Amino acid sequence: MEAGGRRTGWLADRSGWSDLVRPLEARRVSATGFDRYLGGITLLLFLIEVASGILLLLYYKPDTVQAYASVGRIVGEIPYGNLIRNVHAWSSDLFVASLGGHLLSVVLRRAYRAPYELRWLSGIVLLAIGIGLAFTGAVLPWSQKAYVQARVGSELARYVPVLGDWLHRFLRGGDEVTSATLQHAFGFHVAVLPAALSLFFAVHVVLLMRKREETAPVEGASIPVYPDFIIRQAAAWTGVVVAVITLATFSDRLLGSPADPRMATPSDARPPWYFLWFHQIVASSSRDLLGVNGPKFLVGTACLLGALVVGLPFLDRRGWKVTAYLALVLVFVLVVLSVNALS
Amino acid sequence: MRSPNRNAIRLSVIALALAALARQPDAAAGPPVPAASASASPASSRALTPPLESANTCVTCHAGLADPKLRAPTTEYSSSVHRDDRIGCVGCHKGDPRDPTAGAHRAAGFLPHPSHAEIAGVCGGCHSDAGFMRHINARLPVGQQALFNLSLHGKLSGAGDTMAPTCSVCHGRHEILPAASPKAPVNRLNVAKLCAGCHADPKHMAPYQIRTDQFAKWERSVHGEAFKKGNPLAPTCTGCHGAHSATPPEASSVARACGRCHEEELALFEQSPHSKGFKKRGLAPCVACHSNHDVAPASSLHVGLTPDATCTKCHSNDEKPLKAADELAGLLRGARDRAAAARAAVARAGDEGLHISGAPFALDQVATAELKLRPVVHTLDPKRMAVAVAAVEQAAAAAEKLVTDAEQGRRIERRGYYAALALAFLLFSTLSLKAWQLEGRRRLGSP
Repeated sequence: MEAGGRRTGWLADRSGWSDLVRPLEARRVSATGFDRYLGGITLLLFLIEVASGILLLLYYKPDTVQAYASVGRIVGEIPYGNLIRNVHAWSSDLFVASLGGHLLSVVLRRAYRAPYELRWLSGIVLLAIGIGLAFTGAVLPWSQKAYVQARVGSELARYVPVLGDWLHRFLRGGDEVTSATLQHAFGFHVAVLPAALSLFFAVHVVLLMRKREETAPVEGASIPVYPDFIIRQAAAWTGVVVAVITLATFSDRLLGSPADPRMATPSDARPPWYFLWFHQIVASSSRDLLGVNGPKFLVGTACLLGALVVGLPFLDRRGWKVTAYLALVLVFVLVVLSVNALS
Repeated sequence: MRSPNRNAIRLSVIALALAALARQPDAAAGPPVPAASASASPASSRALTPPLESANTCVTCHAGLADPKLRAPTTEYSSSVHRDDRIGCVGCHKGDPRDPTAGAHRAAGFLPHPSHAEIAGVCGGCHSDAGFMRHINARLPVGQQALFNLSLHGKLSGAGDTMAPTCSVCHGRHEILPAASPKAPVNRLNVAKLCAGCHADPKHMAPYQIRTDQFAKWERSVHGEAFKKGNPLAPTCTGCHGAHSATPPEASSVARACGRCHEEELALFEQSPHSKGFKKRGLAPCVACHSNHDVAPASSLHVGLTPDATCTKCHSNDEKPLKAADELAGLLRGARDRAAAARAAVARAGDEGLHISGAPFALDQVATAELKLRPVVHTLDPKRMAVAVAAVEQAAAAAEKLVTDAEQGRRIERRGYYAALALAFLLFSTLSLKAWQLEGRRRLGSP
């Protein structure tokens, strides 16, 4: 009677749409909190990145001699090239930010608890890939800023314990920032990382579907995922689109001067904003700390902390309230470090 | 006269090589000897150089002499191009290089002090001999002495005037450097100062009754300014007057000197009414308007009827030329304003953050068209000027079109943005309405 009594459209009847969304109709989620839409927003930003990235790929030349000029051509000559590059650059920042916001939201809601460990881990992988995409993308224009960021960013990798030297060489594609660095960054940015991100996103969503109702009682007012949540998500998406096109239309992402490896790395060289905290740890720690290499010790501690974050669902099975407070303190520390790095 | 010279040098090479081999064992025990060489042979290898150097028997004695007049040449010579090319003391002073004692001075033709009049002949002995010079430096010209003899400098010094320069006055004596050396007084960077050394000295120039302000005027001229900025094409004294053949250009030839670089200006000038008029009155072309040593930048010369205009210096009452000057001035002013407007439009677009990749090129085109106006002024023909001005206007219009196109593109982009904004708002409203409607229905449905 339920199915027969429903008003189904002509198209829904024939496309199997009704069967597809039936499980989503049965699933309910909490109706409160904007942060619930951050996951979907991250997905939309990724799709915007793919679409605008493909358009940029039509004109970009991954070669140290031609890269800067080809981006200059995109900005100066190709119709709407500047707009599309702005969209790509701004969405990338928003993508990293919303990914971070989504992670924080999951921690604060303690949604990492069993049986969602795999969902958490796949999310951590997605975060790593996302940051990798942003970092490799920043290298591609081969402007002086991009070149310096590539150097500073890969230099920081040296301080990671155990893997440091390997990571340093891996990011540079050799011992120095060269044409190999650009070539590798390009390959990873347009092929390896987007493919990996798509794969892990699929895993992430499948793990989302595996959610079992009985283990996660919905607190407070709840709404069905379809159509209510999806419609609200779509409304949030329109907001994101407005934000992206507004930023892209009114705020140019300037290209700067071409890369000149002969120029010394300026003392105020900084990595991209999401690595500023890392930079600050390395820059501010004394060379020698209690008899060990200062930066290495602090970065090692930070990496240990990172490992704790990755292993969170296994360390905190019950979902202690204190975890949420610790997460807020950690975010505060990261923000303070980043702000300090800028001044 | 040349042949014995050459033979003397060749002989000296062989003799010195032999002497060197003979002296080698006790060379180390001898007094310290300043670096110097006595070889002129292109065949002698570098490996032979140390013994040969210690074998410059002139230096062996002269370096130890108490009289600075007799000692100084040995040190001066050590930095000379002649030492590098292994032309020894005997190359110029002759004497007998086989005799390592004062007996060498007694040889026939020994020339301890070449007189002012003799010097050109001494230098020319080698430098006018193409067959000999090609063994030393095949790229060095060999006609300097002939040219010098044609120059006023050469004629005066040849006639026994010791105030007029001969080779050594400009090039130095024992310490001669190649002209390419930045330290050489005849190097392009130093030659104007070298000329000024005599020509800006009123005492030196008094007997010849010529002016002494040329260097000061050149320094503040457009040529001097360009030279100071490092422009490698900017002429110094020799650029117009020549070097060895330095001769004052007469009114009839000055245009040829200017026209060597300013070809188009000269060609157009020769088609103008000025060309004939100047010839009739014996006026120097170019100089009448531009002056010579203190030639001013073209931009500071005014074409027109104002009191400071160049035209009114001569044409105070001539009706027809003044009419043409007025027309030319109007055309030039129009072109200048048009080009300035195009530059301002591009600058404004840059301030507004518009990306116009073709703008620098378009402005270059405007500047090129503007630069082409200058030669056309020499025709004094408003019709031809109008054509050149039209080219400026065309280039300016092309630059402005890039700006208007970019502005139009931005307008379209902005319009698209607002349309997208409206669409997003509509979508957001629809979705919100739908969400609100669903929630309302669920509340009604659930008890």
